[in-house]
Amino acid sequence: MAGKSGRTIDATPKTSIKSRVLSWESGLIVIFIAVLIFGSIVSKSFTFSNVLREMPKYLSELFMMYAMGFILVIAEIDISVGAIVCLAGTMTCFANRAGAPLIVQIIVCIGVGFLCGCLNGVIATHFQELPTMIITLGTQIIFRGIAEVSMGSGGSVSLSDTMGFAKIGGMVGPFPIAFFLIIIAAVIFIFVLSRTTFGRKMYAVGSNRTAALYAGIPVQKIRQICFTLVGTMAGVCALFLLATSFGANTTTGQGFEMDVIAMCVFGGIATTGGKGNLVGATIAGFTIVCLRIALGQLNMSGQTILVIIGILLIVSALIPGINQSVKNRRKAIAAK
Amino acid sequence: MNQKKSLWKIITGSREVSLLLILIVMLIVVQILSRGTFLTPTNIGQIFRNNALTMLMALGMLCVMLTAGIDISITSTLAFTGMIIGMLQKRAGFTNTFALFLLAALIGIACGFLNGLIISKGHLAPIICTMGFMYIWRGLAYVVSNNQWASGADVAKFAEFGKDGSVGPYIILIIAYVVFFIVMKWTTFGRRIYAVGSNADAARVSGINVDRVLIQVYTIMGLLAGLAGALSVSIYASAQPNMQYGKEMDVIAACVIGGTSMNGGRGSVVGTFLGALFYAVLAKALPLVGLDSIWQNLIKGVVVLAVVLINVLTQRTMDRAALERREM
Amino acid sequence: MSEDLILELKGITKIFPGVKALNNVQFQLRRGEVHALMGENGAGKSTFIKVITGVHAAEEGHMYLNGKEVHFKGPKDALEAGIAAVYQHPTTYPTLSVTENIFIGHEFVKRGMIQWRQMNQEAKKLLDRLDADFKPGDEMGTLSVAQQQMVEIAKALSTNAKIIILDEPTAALTANESEKLYRIVDQLREEGVSIIFISHRMEDMYRLASRVTVFRDSQYIGTYDVDKITEAELIKAMVGREISDMYPKPQVKIGDEVFRIEGMSRTGYFKDVSLNIHAGEIVGLTGLVGAGRTETMEAVCGITKADGGKVFVDGKEVHIKNPADAMKAGIVLLPEDRQKQGLILGWGLGDNVILPVQDELAKGPFKVKNEAKERELAKKYLEEVDTKAVTIFDPGSSLSGGNQQKVVVAKALVQDNMKVLIMDEPTKGVDVGAKAEIYSIMGDLAKKGYGILLISSEMAEILGMSDRIYTMCKGRITGCLDIQEASQERLLELSMENSRTTGKEAVK
Repeated sequence: MAGKSGRTIDATPKTSIKSRVLSWESGLIVIFIAVLIFGSIVSKSFTFSNVLREMPKYLSELFMMYAMGFILVIAEIDISVGAIVCLAGTMTCFANRAGAPLIVQIIVCIGVGFLCGCLNGVIATHFQELPTMIITLGTQIIFRGIAEVSMGSGGSVSLSDTMGFAKIGGMVGPFPIAFFLIIIAAVIFIFVLSRTTFGRKMYAVGSNRTAALYAGIPVQKIRQICFTLVGTMAGVCALFLLATSFGANTTTGQGFEMDVIAMCVFGGIATTGGKGNLVGATIAGFTIVCLRIALGQLNMSGQTILVIIGILLIVSALIPGINQSVKNRRKAIAAK
Repeated sequence: MNQKKSLWKIITGSREVSLLLILIVMLIVVQILSRGTFLTPTNIGQIFRNNALTMLMALGMLCVMLTAGIDISITSTLAFTGMIIGMLQKRAGFTNTFALFLLAALIGIACGFLNGLIISKGHLAPIICTMGFMYIWRGLAYVVSNNQWASGADVAKFAEFGKDGSVGPYIILIIAYVVFFIVMKWTTFGRRIYAVGSNADAARVSGINVDRVLIQVYTIMGLLAGLAGALSVSIYASAQPNMQYGKEMDVIAACVIGGTSMNGGRGSVVGTFLGALFYAVLAKALPLVGLDSIWQNLIKGVVVLAVVLINVLTQRTMDRAALERREM
Repeated sequence: MSEDLILELKGITKIFPGVKALNNVQFQLRRGEVHALMGENGAGKSTFIKVITGVHAAEEGHMYLNGKEVHFKGPKDALEAGIAAVYQHPTTYPTLSVTENIFIGHEFVKRGMIQWRQMNQEAKKLLDRLDADFKPGDEMGTLSVAQQQMVEIAKALSTNAKIIILDEPTAALTANESEKLYRIVDQLREEGVSIIFISHRMEDMYRLASRVTVFRDSQYIGTYDVDKITEAELIKAMVGREISDMYPKPQVKIGDEVFRIEGMSRTGYFKDVSLNIHAGEIVGLTGLVGAGRTETMEAVCGITKADGGKVFVDGKEVHIKNPADAMKAGIVLLPEDRQKQGLILGWGLGDNVILPVQDELAKGPFKVKNEAKERELAKKYLEEVDTKAVTIFDPGSSLSGGNQQKVVVAKALVQDNMKVLIMDEPTKGVDVGAKAEIYSIMGDLAKKGYGILLISSEMAEILGMSDRIYTMCKGRITGCLDIQEASQERLLELSMENSRTTGKEAVK
């Protein structure tokens, strides 16, 4: 039934080829390919199999990146995930030293992450007045503090039985196990965010929390779920980190929170919420991983990459704003 | 209206007063537990010296947080400037203490100015922009270091200024706090920072150049981070690219304990001083009550979280009471 | 003419991207007069004020102060020229003291140092002059809106302003507070200050102004002497047509009770509120701003938590803990602030419309979005309310206020179990044409048998559309009138203070 004026509204979805080609993701793909070409030019050992073999060292962070993507989409932030990785890793080492079976160790690792994330969520939903930045700043110090206290004055703890974790860090054919799991995680997280109603609810919460509430969306439940999820994925991250480092110390996971946030922003997710998707973040994550491997093979001080990540982060965050102001200027000129 | 405020109101009404009281109680308890060995001049001196960097940078963070911003690049700026002046001494044999401090300040100003420029003109979220520079300056610190450290012998003359027993660090702290105390309370420059944080739109309407204020606060933050870089080299007689890694959170925590709001517009120099001092005394006092230093972070974290949560709860009680008073 | 004009504007045109907010308007202010500026929401009054105070620069036009042409580059220039504005929503610094709020931008400075003591004394003098009941040292955020407004006026006085602009100063005030404000304005006029006064309330204008200028649809309509124009003429100037054809109230047979609340209370906001709505009935709920109307309905819909009270739909009690429960029970709220509460402005219209029902449309255990069905529904309902849009993918921010409101209505209609529609200020900030369309939609809904609660401060709208009218004051229901016995005076009286005993039983 049309309205009184008989006006009809078009409802056929259109995606122009131009907008596809000029999308953020295609830009990222170009950068990704550029990194691969750069790697193979500067380093002879930057081959397909070598890259895959070295990958597990850098992959673990990506597990957290997906969940952090959710957190940023709902316009929150969690800076405690690095500390959760440390705590989960530490507790798993203790479980390992106590001779617990591998499955129990895995449960401990992921379970600690789950509990930490849950705690963040409970505080965030019951103290809505507080910015989550400050909540997770507090819990970050606490989580790492608990790890430090349990490690004792030595400041580190290692696995006594590395068999199980060597398997987790192992390969299936040419691919590391972690790589497979990352792909599975990517598919699941991308599916949830882009295809399900839950994904749309997250965008709603991040775009306008008040309007989402008025539209009947359980805002606090979604926040709780996202914080629990990012904590749990930090536990998964710790698991794969242990599979390459076989131990934890007081600096384990330090700076991870910034790394994953940076990957998300580079992938086109805005920290102000409601924007971006995990396809971009996935490409961005792998771009940074490959860049790290290439620079590592060059024997450049591993930290040089920090400069590159920093520049990528700022530039990628600046581009949407610049785009917008260019558009506005065009509009203004057109109006005249 | 009741002209005389009750004692309870004064205590709960002002963050500074309540913090001061808690601090005094804590000092008395520790003094008793340590059988009078805690409050000695040496100990007090060390509390300030060990926390000089945090205390110095907390002033800049106060300004930044007053505008509802945040700066997590500060310890990277610190490392970058520290590394440069460390290497200048090690490789170029440049040892003029004053000139080195001046250079550190200038580098810091440049770093901070970049932050301010991008945040105000590029409309970037402060956390993202400063996170970017956190990586950049830290990475450049490693590049400058070229896998070397500047250690004791390299910076021997420079370390005279900050070594145990020298008054250098104290003088810098005292000057910084006095200057900030005056500027933030008694100059239009300081009040404009409060205004921008309290209501940026209103500030714009009343003709305050908000962008310029933002650039100024991040530049000040950079200046202090640069000075802290030099001070760090001087106090610890070494320059390493990973120095003070992750300590920006301590600085933010000190401000938060001192009553600075992350939403902007609320916070004071005295509160920040007390917050930083509280943090410092806590660290020094823990061993005396039988807790190893490894407990430090855990306790700090609990304190930070407790402070912000209690803040919310008191605010809620006050709001509730105000609502109940409303006649209907 | 040899009028003594302190301020004159000619041919002012202001363009925002895509909209002409002011189209060749003019204005003359005599020295020492109180001049009312009237017009509907969106007529361009606020923009005009911002042009005068230098916040916006006009694309075209001239402005003369004391006969000399001036160009303000920013608000500071206007302040220095002696023009100060008190805005509708006080633009204050909530975390700073009253003194500081008054003197910000023109502090007393001696040798680079702010003279706090002197400023506090001066602030006290100003507050005494305005007969204020708070102290210079109080924190701004702890004051009421009326008190904050007084600070703003003190601020204007402190700059020795010769022209003071008051933008809807009485909108948030109680009758007593308004009276106090009138006295202040009288006093200022006697001191030789010229005042521009923007208000929706006719009584403000009659009480204070000597002349009135009317804007409509961004254009200048005319300037009139207050004592020479009748209210009907003025309304016609503002609205552009006779008021009678605005409200297409259909005659609907009123059915059974669909909705009833009993004894709803929330500390500090509303107390013991009871009311009911029948099928096909449009029930008005009016009162002054801050009377607790919105707060009550938000609690009913689970947005906030009530301390006590019962909600009945179709005679059965429902327990509502969150907005989703309310929707399930068939209660739908059209929130007051459609830009912040009603819509996600960055989203396409379609996504906005189907947001409340997306889960019901979804496929499979993972709740996969059913986009084809969503598009179909969105199209259907957006067309039903006759939204002026090209596609369902247009962002909400691209529509005018009235069309945004229609999208919010479509968002309510899409919920097919809806029984009661609570419309909170549905025509606020909506242009005249769209207003009539919203009224007609409202009438259609009543015909279909929905129960409608119309929350509004606009008396004409309440009187034009309602079957029955409740009034609220200070968090309580103060009356319930049938449309036949209701009049503007009667409603105002019931909305004012000390009227708790009048009026009939709340629930009949």
